[in-house]
Amino acid sequence: MKLVVMLVGILGGLVLMSFPGGIDRAKPSWWKLLTVLSMALTCIVGLFPPLAGSITDVVIQHRADSLKVVPALVRIVPNTAGTAPGIVTLTDARDQRVVVDGRPSPDVSAELAGLPQGADLVLGLKRMDRDNIFEISSVVAVKPLITMPYIVGLEERARIMFFHVPLSWIATIAYFLTMLASIRHLRTRRLEHDDVAVVTAALGTLFTVLATLTGAVWAKFNWGTFWNWDPRQTSIMLLMLIYAAYFLLRSTIEDPDRRARLGSVYAIIAFPTVPFLIFVLPRLLPGLHPGSADDTNLGPLLSPRSDAINPIKTAVFGLALFSFTLVFAWLVNIRLRLARMERRRAFRSEAA
Amino acid sequence: MIQFLTDHPLYVVLTTVLVVWIGIAGYLQRIDTRVSELEQSNDR
Repeated sequence: MKLVVMLVGILGGLVLMSFPGGIDRAKPSWWKLLTVLSMALTCIVGLFPPLAGSITDVVIQHRADSLKVVPALVRIVPNTAGTAPGIVTLTDARDQRVVVDGRPSPDVSAELAGLPQGADLVLGLKRMDRDNIFEISSVVAVKPLITMPYIVGLEERARIMFFHVPLSWIATIAYFLTMLASIRHLRTRRLEHDDVAVVTAALGTLFTVLATLTGAVWAKFNWGTFWNWDPRQTSIMLLMLIYAAYFLLRSTIEDPDRRARLGSVYAIIAFPTVPFLIFVLPRLLPGLHPGSADDTNLGPLLSPRSDAINPIKTAVFGLALFSFTLVFAWLVNIRLRLARMERRRAFRSEAA
Repeated sequence: MIQFLTDHPLYVVLTTVLVVWIGIAGYLQRIDTRVSELEQSNDR
């Protein structure tokens, strides 16, 4: 199921990249509106739904940091508010066999009294003396439409998955398109295919740089430093250097045909390193990044275990892949049209 | 700033989103400059 959602996201974006009219024709307004709306929706559903863990998460978090308040998806069990003074009975909304006592802090007592009993609530909980007594510190959300899972150690920072991971995946697609366009150039010797190769390589590099920067920001607050030569960071830096060399090589050759031919050969030889550096090497070596060799699985997205990632996160990630692919397609489209105009202008000035 | 981001982890994610959009906006600015140059050379 997870694979299907991710494939629909990527393939949907790639189909719309060449439809309607082809990769280098001006896109209609509905296409642009779809891109803006899907990206806006990605930001909304990626950032706004509240985190809501289970009561077990509250207990696990207590072992790591006893002062931290954890948002948990619970229900107030009806007609138990008066069983003991100041105590409400809570059940885990996802597993109703888990029943615990909640002791509201003075700040939330009044608010809690007005909440619907039996409805889904996200309450800020903190374990007290025992595993079945929790302090209710805050009311985070009432009857939330969707919630994101609480991951101990990552918390809100887990949401970076919707913005950071698509960048590196789309960079892989961009470099793949570079290789395809380079093969077509070598077969036909048409410079239009070389334009596609250059534009996709440039955008692949932009997305690689952005993936590195967003990863570094995340690393600072999760690992304690912006850069620590984790295998994932090292491999993406190697990738940047490989494609920097592609542009360096092109910049040293004056003749457009020779530049395109040599650039194409380099791009074809360079591509096999991309899936190796993004998907394989970081999984073979121990590191801090999810999916490293000493992690429990291949990372939440590629692990064959169905419980490695929550279904809502999978759906939002699929949407993020779709919208980032459309943004990439839009940028490719504008750059290709510009390259075509520049080529026509150069041809005209040569003819004149 | 670092302390603020440590205390408010959601802003770490917002910062990464900002980095993405600044990067894409910078790239758009570069394309815009090239289009302007092309327009100027066509007007000559």
